[in-house]
Amino acid sequence: MYLKKECIAMLLAGGQGSRLYDLTKHTAKPAVSFGGKYRIIDFPLSNCINSGIDTVGVLTQYQPLALNEYIGNGAPWDLDRNRGGLSVLPPYQGNQHSDWYKGTANAIYQNLQFIKKYDPEYVLILSGDHIYTMDYSAMLKEHKRKGAACTVATIKVPLEEASRFGICNADSDGRIYEFEEKPKVPKNDQASMGIYIFNTDVLIRYLEEDEKDPESSNDFGKNILPNLLKNGEPLYTYAFSGYWKDVGTIKSLWEANMDLLGSTPAFNLHQRKYRIFSRNTARAPQLIGQGAKIENSMISEGCVINGSVSDSVLSGGVYVEEGAEIHHSVIMADVHIAAGAKIYYSIVDSDCLIGENVTVGSPDSRDDIQIIAKGSKLVSESESN
Amino acid sequence: MSSAAIIFSNLNTNTLSRLTADRTVAAIPFACRYRLIDFALSNMVNANISNINVVVNYNYRSLLDHIGSGKDWDLARRAGGINCISPYQMANSGAVKVYSTHMEALRNMTAYIDDMKEDYVVLSDCHWVANIDIKAAIADHAANGAEITYVTTESSESYTSKHPVLMFKTNENGVVQDVVISAKHQANAPEVSTGIFIMSCHYLRQLLSQAEAYDYRSLTYDVVMKNASKGCYRTFKHNGYAAHISSFTDYFKHSIALTNNRGAFYSLLGIPERRIFTRVHNSAPVVYLSGSKVDNSLIADDCVIEGTVENSILFRGVKVGRGSVVKNSILFGGTTVGRDCELNCVVTDKSVTISDFCKLSGHESLPFYVNKMRRV
Repeated sequence: MYLKKECIAMLLAGGQGSRLYDLTKHTAKPAVSFGGKYRIIDFPLSNCINSGIDTVGVLTQYQPLALNEYIGNGAPWDLDRNRGGLSVLPPYQGNQHSDWYKGTANAIYQNLQFIKKYDPEYVLILSGDHIYTMDYSAMLKEHKRKGAACTVATIKVPLEEASRFGICNADSDGRIYEFEEKPKVPKNDQASMGIYIFNTDVLIRYLEEDEKDPESSNDFGKNILPNLLKNGEPLYTYAFSGYWKDVGTIKSLWEANMDLLGSTPAFNLHQRKYRIFSRNTARAPQLIGQGAKIENSMISEGCVINGSVSDSVLSGGVYVEEGAEIHHSVIMADVHIAAGAKIYYSIVDSDCLIGENVTVGSPDSRDDIQIIAKGSKLVSESESN
Repeated sequence: MSSAAIIFSNLNTNTLSRLTADRTVAAIPFACRYRLIDFALSNMVNANISNINVVVNYNYRSLLDHIGSGKDWDLARRAGGINCISPYQMANSGAVKVYSTHMEALRNMTAYIDDMKEDYVVLSDCHWVANIDIKAAIADHAANGAEITYVTTESSESYTSKHPVLMFKTNENGVVQDVVISAKHQANAPEVSTGIFIMSCHYLRQLLSQAEAYDYRSLTYDVVMKNASKGCYRTFKHNGYAAHISSFTDYFKHSIALTNNRGAFYSLLGIPERRIFTRVHNSAPVVYLSGSKVDNSLIADDCVIEGTVENSILFRGVKVGRGSVVKNSILFGGTTVGRDCELNCVVTDKSVTISDFCKLSGHESLPFYVNKMRRV
């Protein structure tokens, strides 16, 4: 069957997300809930289909059960195709060796057979950890125009934070002459977003070389990009100027949710240009009861609100009883918050019960976001006696 | 014991005028994110019926758009699935006659009915809104050997509907003794047809060849009324919310009831083993801005609310501006209410714009209706 594609995407969704603690104890980071009805992976997947990329390999490894079930055959993102479409790529036992993915580059290396099936000219490498909307086809157009071997999408970050990122030092034309992974003294503020477009032949060559190096961490930022630079390959930046958030820490996940609120949110989910697709859960409409107080919040389908919600993001099916209060928090699906309970500056994972008069967090705990693990049942001290 | 389904999208007297100026009855938006056909479709899907024919005959563009491939009801199938049948011309049949009764529609689709491999067929109209256990109704029909089993309900109050319905007097075993056609509904009195009836495919084919021979035009008058007291019909009573949408006022009354009657809401939309499915729009969750005050309302995704909303139903993408007060109203998708407006007992069709400072008021017995895309 004729399967040739010009460009396919490889989405790295295997990371542990250890800095999200309880939220990723049993779930891969890309499957973590965000923005009420979405999961983090909805953003790169929707970006792909909105950019005209209909072939996506999703590389899973850590706790993929919830993620695999959620992705399915890619139908919610129009990626259920006969030619191309979405493929979930876990590590597998080959006849020569079997290996967990050792690093980002190794993960792609182990799936070269998948890539070669489509014989693409270009491969787009994405991660499943970021919240943003982007037209990858514009990046590909630039990549072709510059005659690049590899293009790295970059974003401007505050200089004081630049040492957390891979920093690209480039000339006025965007040609990278130096790449520094987490530099102590960053030379500029253009950070790599972990989004790369490679010419396929270049990618294959450097991945195969890297595999032969036992000292290598098999990582794009640490090994592949510096190797390309060493050999004088044309490496270019593609400056991205929209909203982009790496939601790898509790703080950044909470902040990214808060960025959705207000009349001019930092990240506007209500725009029509890049529609975000997600798996539908067929819930009933949200029912706002008598006496409910909702202020500056985002609320999803299936919620029943009889209490008070302010500056918060609620996922589907959350039941807020009369007398309950939620402030500055992220509440995930099917959580029941009983009368008198007060929640401040928290992320409550799905299926929890916050019992009567239980208090989580405090009005001053903005710098210490509380996490309530999935399925927890919190009972107030007086009741448990 | 397999079943197929035939859904009639617009066969009962069109008494909804305003709401059906631009769309067929089955496509009328309801309960903030559904269309009337979603209830009929979901009832079938929840009974594991996956071979569904939808008969369309009037203004069905938005209905077909809504159904699409049937994917959102899990009806995009290779075996069976959803199939829309519009009036069509056959060789030697003369001009296309748009059907106006169930009998005419059925006589026009004998090819589909002959092809049905299932044992039973469930036929349903779209102007009753209810979440019904069709699986139990089919089992009841199969166990008791009636020719037709009607799914019925009892009204909780007396009222007069805009067009007459079938009412049944039954004995203690559920066998029909008498059938009356009336528009006067009484509280807890005769069982009323919900527009859903079940028969075996074999019986339907027999009925249709009789219909050809005797040129039947009406199932009700040529068949049911004539055999009413012969004990060959049964009823299956549905207990729970059932709303008869026979007029614009009915539509308004039954819609607003969902905002302040929790029992009705859960009986229709809160049954976990029988969820109501609808087309997926991938809309973003609702944004409640500072200054918004919402009470007793159903709000769909993509809405942005800055004003006051009470006892109302807001469909997808509705915007309510600062200082505006919306009470007892139903705002269809894409309606934009500007700042400092006042709306009471108003129904706005899709994409209506209400400019700043406008005051509109109807009454619950005569809600004020604004046409699709009108700018006020």
